[in-house]
Amino acid sequence: MNSLIILAALGLIILFSEIFNFKKIIFPIVFAGIIAAIVAALGDWNNSASYFNNMIRTDNYAVSFSVLILFITLLWFVMSSSMFEDQETRTDYFSLIVFSLIGALVMVSFTNLIMLFLGIEILSISMYALAGSKKDNLASNEAAMKYFLLGAFTTGFLLFGIALVYGITGSFNTDQISEYIMSTGHSSSPVLIAGILLILTALTFKIAAAPFHFWAPDVYQGAPTPVTAFMSSVVKTAAIASFLRLFGSAFAGPSEFWIATLWVISAITIVLGNILAVYQTNLKRMLAYSSISHAGYMIMSVIALNEKAASSLLFYTAAYGISSLAAFMVLLIVSSKSGTEEISGLRGMFSKNPIMASAACIAVLSLAGIPPLAGFFAKYYIFSAALQSGYTGLVLIAVAGSLVGVFYYFRIIINIFESNVQMNDLGVNVFNKAFLLICSLLALLFGILPGLIIDAI
Amino acid sequence: MMLMVWLIPLLPLLGFLFIGLLQKKLEGTSAGWIGSLTVLASFVLSLLLFFLHSGSSDEYTLFEWINLGVLSIPFSLMIDQLSLIMMLIVTGVGFLIHVYSIGYMKGDDGFARFFSYLNLFIFFMLILVMGSNFLLMFVGWEGVGLCSYLLIGFWFKTPEYNAAANKAFIMNRIGDLGFLLGILLIISTFGSLDYNSVFSSAASMPDNQPQIIAITLLLLIGAAGKSAQIPLYTWLPDAMAGPTPVSALIHAATMVTAGIYMVVRSNVLYSIAPDTLFIVAVLGTATAVFAATIALAQNDIKKVLAYSTVSQLGFMFAALGAGAYTTAIFHVTTHAFFKALLFLAAGSVIHAMGGEQDIRKMGGLKKNLPVTFTVFAIGTLAIAGIPPLAGFFSKDEILAHVWVEYKYLFVALALASVFTAVYMFRLFFLTFYGDFRGSQRQKEHLHESPGIMTTPLVILAILSAFGGFLGMPEIFSDKHIIGSFLQPVLAYPSQLILSKPSHAFEWSLISVFAILLLIIILYTYRKFVSNKNIPLEDGSVKGLSRVLMNKYYVDELYDYLVVKPAFFIGRTFHSLVEKSIIDRTVNSIKPILISTSGMLRRIQTGGIGFYIFIMVFSIIAILAYNLLIS
Repeated sequence: MNSLIILAALGLIILFSEIFNFKKIIFPIVFAGIIAAIVAALGDWNNSASYFNNMIRTDNYAVSFSVLILFITLLWFVMSSSMFEDQETRTDYFSLIVFSLIGALVMVSFTNLIMLFLGIEILSISMYALAGSKKDNLASNEAAMKYFLLGAFTTGFLLFGIALVYGITGSFNTDQISEYIMSTGHSSSPVLIAGILLILTALTFKIAAAPFHFWAPDVYQGAPTPVTAFMSSVVKTAAIASFLRLFGSAFAGPSEFWIATLWVISAITIVLGNILAVYQTNLKRMLAYSSISHAGYMIMSVIALNEKAASSLLFYTAAYGISSLAAFMVLLIVSSKSGTEEISGLRGMFSKNPIMASAACIAVLSLAGIPPLAGFFAKYYIFSAALQSGYTGLVLIAVAGSLVGVFYYFRIIINIFESNVQMNDLGVNVFNKAFLLICSLLALLFGILPGLIIDAI
Repeated sequence: MMLMVWLIPLLPLLGFLFIGLLQKKLEGTSAGWIGSLTVLASFVLSLLLFFLHSGSSDEYTLFEWINLGVLSIPFSLMIDQLSLIMMLIVTGVGFLIHVYSIGYMKGDDGFARFFSYLNLFIFFMLILVMGSNFLLMFVGWEGVGLCSYLLIGFWFKTPEYNAAANKAFIMNRIGDLGFLLGILLIISTFGSLDYNSVFSSAASMPDNQPQIIAITLLLLIGAAGKSAQIPLYTWLPDAMAGPTPVSALIHAATMVTAGIYMVVRSNVLYSIAPDTLFIVAVLGTATAVFAATIALAQNDIKKVLAYSTVSQLGFMFAALGAGAYTTAIFHVTTHAFFKALLFLAAGSVIHAMGGEQDIRKMGGLKKNLPVTFTVFAIGTLAIAGIPPLAGFFSKDEILAHVWVEYKYLFVALALASVFTAVYMFRLFFLTFYGDFRGSQRQKEHLHESPGIMTTPLVILAILSAFGGFLGMPEIFSDKHIIGSFLQPVLAYPSQLILSKPSHAFEWSLISVFAILLLIIILYTYRKFVSNKNIPLEDGSVKGLSRVLMNKYYVDELYDYLVVKPAFFIGRTFHSLVEKSIIDRTVNSIKPILISTSGMLRRIQTGGIGFYIFIMVFSIIAILAYNLLIS
C-alpha cells in the first residue's frame, strides 16, 4: 500500500521539479523513489491487508507482481536513458511513467472492479501519451492515435461488462461477486456471462491477444523504442496479472462459460503471433509479434486455473520481461547508431561488439525457450500447469508454436554471427553494457536456479 | 558455520571468475598466486571445519533447487567424515600443485587460463564431494569432466592433444550415461536423491534386490569411466597430453578417485548387493594386473605413471569389492600423496630435460637433480610398498582384506603388487642411474627446478613417507586412525562385518613381501644399472614385450569394434535419415510457413476501421457462441 503512496508522491515531486527547477537531479530521485517503493511493497509480504474500503488488498500475489513490475521498471530506466535526454520534455515523461506505474500496481492488487477499471485507465492514458511522445515523428503520432481510438473503444466494453456483472451480483467487490455467484444459482444467467465475456475481451485487448491484437504491431512499431519496451514488459505484466487476479477469483466459479473461449483465444494468439513473426524483416515489428505470441502462452496460466497458475505466471512474466528488455536494448543501440530497425542491421555484430552480441543471443534464446535460460523454465512451468489441468491439446499447440518461434528467433542469431559482413564497433557505453550484462545474468540465474522465483508465492 | 561451509567451494569459483575474466590484464605470475591463495583459503577452512566437526553428519541447505512436486532437490552441502577427508585431499594436494604450477607453467602463453581452469576444477571437485545428493554429485562429476577435457587439450594447437581430450571426454560420457541412468533408477526406486533418505530406506531392504543390483551396476559403470577401470580405462594414459601438474592433480590425485568416493558414499547400496561387490572386486583386480603389465613395457615416463595410476585405482576397487570401504579411502589418501609426488617429480625431470619424456634418453639424473631424485626415490619406495612408507600400509591392508574375501583374487592382486615394484624401479633406475643418454644440448641444460617447484615436492615427500601411519595394521597399533574416523559414514556395518585376517597371516604377508621387494630391487638394479640393459627402440621389440608396449592393442581393438562401426552408423544415418527424411521435411515446411505468414500478414491492413470491424465481429461471435449455441 505504501508503495502506491510513494509513487504518487514521486509523480508530484517530478512535476514540481519543473517549477522549482531541480530537474537536473530528477533521475536519481526517480531511481531512489522506485527503490523505496520496492522496499515498501516488500514490507507487505505475508502481511495481507485491505485498504480503501476493501478496494485494494496487498496479498502476496499483489506484492510479488508489484515488486516484479517495479524492478522491471528500474531496469527499464537504465535502458531508456536516451529518452530522457531532452531537457524540455523529460519531466513530462518521467511523471507519465511513474503515474502509469500507479495504474499497474492498482491493477495487480485490486479487489474491486472499479479499481480494476481505474488502474487500467491510469495506465492506458499515460501510455497513449507516451506512444506519441516523438511529436515530430508521423509514425509515433499515428501509433498514439490508433492506440487511443482502439483503447477507448475497448474501455467501453470493459465498462459495459462491469455494469452487467454489477447488475446481476449487486457488487463491485470481487469476493462478494464470487460469493454471490457460488451461493446462488445465478451462475448461468446470460447477463452475467455476457458481462464476464465483455470484461474478458477488454482484458484480452490489453495484453494484445488475438483477435484483439491488431493494434499491437502498428503501435509497437510506431512508438519510440523505449516506450515499446515498456509496453511489452511492464504493461503486459500488469495486464495479464490483473487478468489472472480477476478470473482466478471472482469468475473462477462459472469458469465453464469462459474457459473454452479463452482456450481458442490462446491457441489463435500463439499460432498467429508466431507465424506472422516469421515474415517480418523489421526487428521491432518482429518483436511485436513475438510479444503477441508470448501473451498467448501467458493466457495458458489463466486457463490452467490451478494452484500453480500464479507462480508460473510470475516466473513467465519475469523471464519474458527481462529478456525482452534486453532485446529491445540491443535494437535501441543498433537503430540509434545505424538508423535501421531491420534484422539485417544486426549482421556481423559479434566480431566487434562481443558483449552486446552475446547478450542479444542470451535474450533471444531465452525468448525462444532454450535451456538453461529463464525462458525455458518459464514455458516449462506454464505448460506443466496447463497439463495438470488437462489441457494437453493446448500444450501441443503451444509447443508447436514454440518450434516456429525458434525459426525466427534463430534468424537473429544467424545474422549476429554472420562473418562475411563486419559491423563497426558501436561503442556501447558502460551503462548499457552493464545493463545487458545484468539482464543476461538474470536470465541465466533464473534458468539455473528456477526455485528462486517459483517458490516465491 | 553455514557461511564457512559455503565459502569452501565458493572461493575457488570466485578465483576462476576473477582470473578467467581478467586473464589478459593479470601480469606475470599474479594469476597463479591468486589461484593458489583461493585454494589455500579453502584448505584452511576445511581444516578448521575438520577440527570443529562434532562427528555428526550435517547438511547445509542454501536453497530449494528443483521442486517438481514429486521430487524436491535442495542445493545443499553435506559435511561428514567422508566429505571432510576428500575436501582435505582436494584442497591440500590441490594447493601444493597450484604452487608447483606457478613454476612449471611460467612463461606459458595460457598461464592465466591454466589457473582459471585449475580453480574451476577445484570448485567442481568440491561440489562433487560435498554435495548432499546424487544430483549435486553429478553436477560436480560433469564439471570435473569438463575441466579435465579443457586441461588435457590445454595446448590446443597440437591436434593429437585435442584428440586425447576428445577421447577422455567421450569415454567419460559412456560412464556418465551409466551414472545418469543409475540416478534415474534411484529416483524411481526411492523417490528421492538425498543421500540420507535413499540410504535409510535402502538399509531395510533385503540383499540382492534386482533394482538395487541394477542401480549399483549402473553407478559402477559411471565409476569405471571416471576412475579408469576396464573397459573404459584407455582415456587415462592418453590424458597425459595435458600439462604435468594436471596429470598430478586431476589424473592421479583427485578426479580419478571420484569413482571410489562414489562407491564409498553409496556403501549402503553396495553392501546390500553382494553380487555387485563381487563384480567390483573382479573388475578392480583385473584392471590392477592388466595395467601393471602394460606399465612394465612403457618408455614414456608419464605413460608408466599413468598405467600405474590405472593399476592403483584397480587396487582401490578390489578393496571396495571386498567391502573394505575405509581401506579404499585410505589408499586414495596415500595414493594422492605419492602419485602426486611422482607426477610432479616427473614434471621436474621433464622440465630439466627440456620437454623430453622418453626414459631411454635419460639416465644419471641423480647428480643434476638431487632434490628431485630424493623425492622420486621416496615416491617409488612408497608406491612399491616398502615399509614403513605410506603405500606399504594401505596396500598391505587391501591385500589382507581381499585375502579374507576372495582367496583366488588375492593371488592376482599380489602379482600386480609385485609388478608395481618392478615397473617403478625400472623407471627409477633408468631415469636417475647410469649414464646420461640424451643429446649434448640437453646435458648442458640439465638443472634442478626452482624452489617454488621443489617445495611442494618436499612436502608431498614427507606426506608420502609418513602418511601410512594414518592406518596401521593391528599387529603394530590398535588404532586405525582413518578407519575409526570413517566408521560413522559406514552407517550399517552390521550387515557386512569384515572378518579380519589373522596376525600370523599379516606377519607372513609383510615378511614375504619385504623379501620379494628386496629381490626385485636387486634384480632391476642389476639389469638396468649394472648391465646397462636399456629398452630397445620401438621397432626392434619382439614377442610379449611388443604386445605389452602396444598396450595389448586395446586401442586398435576399440577402434575396430566401436569407433569404426559408430562412424559407419553415423554416416549412414546422415545420408539416409537426416538428409533425405528430416532435412526434406523441415525444408518443405519452411516455404509453407513463409507463404502462410505472407498471406496472413495482409489482414494487418493498418486501417483502424478494419480493426474495429474485426474486433466487433469477434465479440459478437464470442457472445453468440457462449450465449446462443452452447
